[in-house]
Amino acid sequence: MTAVTASRIVGARIAPTKDGPLGPLSAGWGAAVEVEVPLEPTPLEVQPSAYVRTAWADRKHGVTPSVRAAAAVAGGVLHVRLRWKALNPRPAITDNNVFADACAVLFPLDGKGAELATMGDAAHPVQAWHWRAGTAIPFVIQATGLGTVTRQAPPHGVSVEATWNADEWSVVFSRPLEEQGVPIRGGANVPIGIAVWQGALEERAGLKSHTPGWLTLEVPA
Amino acid sequence: MVFDLNKCLGCQSCSIACKTLWTDGPGMESMWWNIVNTMPGGGTPRDVFSHGGGYRDGQPVPGKFPAQREYGEAWDFDQQAVFSGSERIPLHPRERDGSTPSWGPNWDEDLGGGVYPDSFFFYLQQICANCSKPACLEACPREGLYRREEDGIILIDEERCNGYRFCAEACPYKRIYFNPRRAVAQKCIACYPRLEAGVAPACVRQCPGRVRHIDYMDNKEGHPHKLVNEWKVALPLRPDFGTEPNVFYVPPLAPSAFNEGGEFDDTKRRIPAEYLREMFGPGVDAALETIEREREKTTRGESSELMDILISRDWNDLMGPFTQNPAELIRPPVTR
Repeated sequence: MTAVTASRIVGARIAPTKDGPLGPLSAGWGAAVEVEVPLEPTPLEVQPSAYVRTAWADRKHGVTPSVRAAAAVAGGVLHVRLRWKALNPRPAITDNNVFADACAVLFPLDGKGAELATMGDAAHPVQAWHWRAGTAIPFVIQATGLGTVTRQAPPHGVSVEATWNADEWSVVFSRPLEEQGVPIRGGANVPIGIAVWQGALEERAGLKSHTPGWLTLEVPA
Repeated sequence: MVFDLNKCLGCQSCSIACKTLWTDGPGMESMWWNIVNTMPGGGTPRDVFSHGGGYRDGQPVPGKFPAQREYGEAWDFDQQAVFSGSERIPLHPRERDGSTPSWGPNWDEDLGGGVYPDSFFFYLQQICANCSKPACLEACPREGLYRREEDGIILIDEERCNGYRFCAEACPYKRIYFNPRRAVAQKCIACYPRLEAGVAPACVRQCPGRVRHIDYMDNKEGHPHKLVNEWKVALPLRPDFGTEPNVFYVPPLAPSAFNEGGEFDDTKRRIPAEYLREMFGPGVDAALETIEREREKTTRGESSELMDILISRDWNDLMGPFTQNPAELIRPPVTR
């Protein structure tokens, strides 16, 4: 069921499945409330390189208008599912000029204070869980501002499962609540941002669609 | 570095030296950090100088990163079918998708340009030129490339690289490759581990034609300084790209063209001046005159520092301070 509200993702508490983390097509998602989250293109003027700003001045980017998001906790594990339509799926990097579809969820690392539009700053780092089509393990990255992204080597506790279904990607990030990193505890309201890259348009790096501000992820108690 | 286009045989020893040393890892099968192509010709990738990048009037020029088959893939050859099959079939390279290749490194070898009897060509070697205004480094939004302070070599930091490939788009010479297995960009590293041990880059040391000169440009006695700044016979490739490359070329001197009567026309060389100016800039005419003048001096029995430098009778003179024999790094030579 899709609700109109787009600033909160209310997580559902559901029974754990015996097959492990909730997959994108698991029936358990029926108990969760899925919301349609509007996205905007990242502004071109803040891209950190003059080459990108010049080369993309006349090109469209950030064309994904919205993403459907839902969250659930099952067996002490948080699952966040994103679903969006890909113009022309790019399930892997298969050539020099082919870019994979991707998505990410972003959190302030200290729970507050970080600005989403700048990917945090030196005093307010952010962490993202980033999935790129064709990879089985998500990237967990930290940033303290645009262009400062650093990758955390696995194991980092986050897993991902993705499915291409007809015309849309369905991606589920999973992480045990008690895992180190972004503090996500039962009953908490956690700021969350979402980003999507359309590989068919050669979107990558800062060229993406993103939530213009933080949403609130309500973790069930 | 300086490459003398009058001496290159197109033997590809440089390409193979680099390939065997650096690009034999997973995902690197198609990479040729050093290439040698016949010019005029398509180059690597096909139509090498037509994919944008670089700068114009100080502003970055949008570029493209051509698909792998425009560079040439690491082809499969069905040796089994050739040797053991029931039909007589030639050895035939196949792309990844099984199709017949339409381009590859050195694809149009020796075809050249011009109209007979004024046909002409030369071999053009290219490596990363570690440009002083590197479009690659400046294109990366996350500082995935950096320049070494000690020698100006530009390197890709594979820890920081996220495979965005803006660098590959921005390089007007298309010397940056992409490793699909590791999703990082990779390119010529100027053999910097060898340089640190006093050993010349593999492409320099392996060259049987004594084409390549290496030294620090601020060594006033070194070949690059003399050829570029004093004799002014070594020129940048496509200076109009605006990246200020630090690999320079001694342009190819060609015989006289033929006139309509089939006799030599001493007013024209077989390689058109306009073509050489496009490739090496406006300084090429004076450079060729200097080379010809100094060559004639030695023909008359006089000495010429320029000819001595370009010939380099002692091979070690080509290598500046990098004359260490790598074979003797660990095991010193036997002395009687």
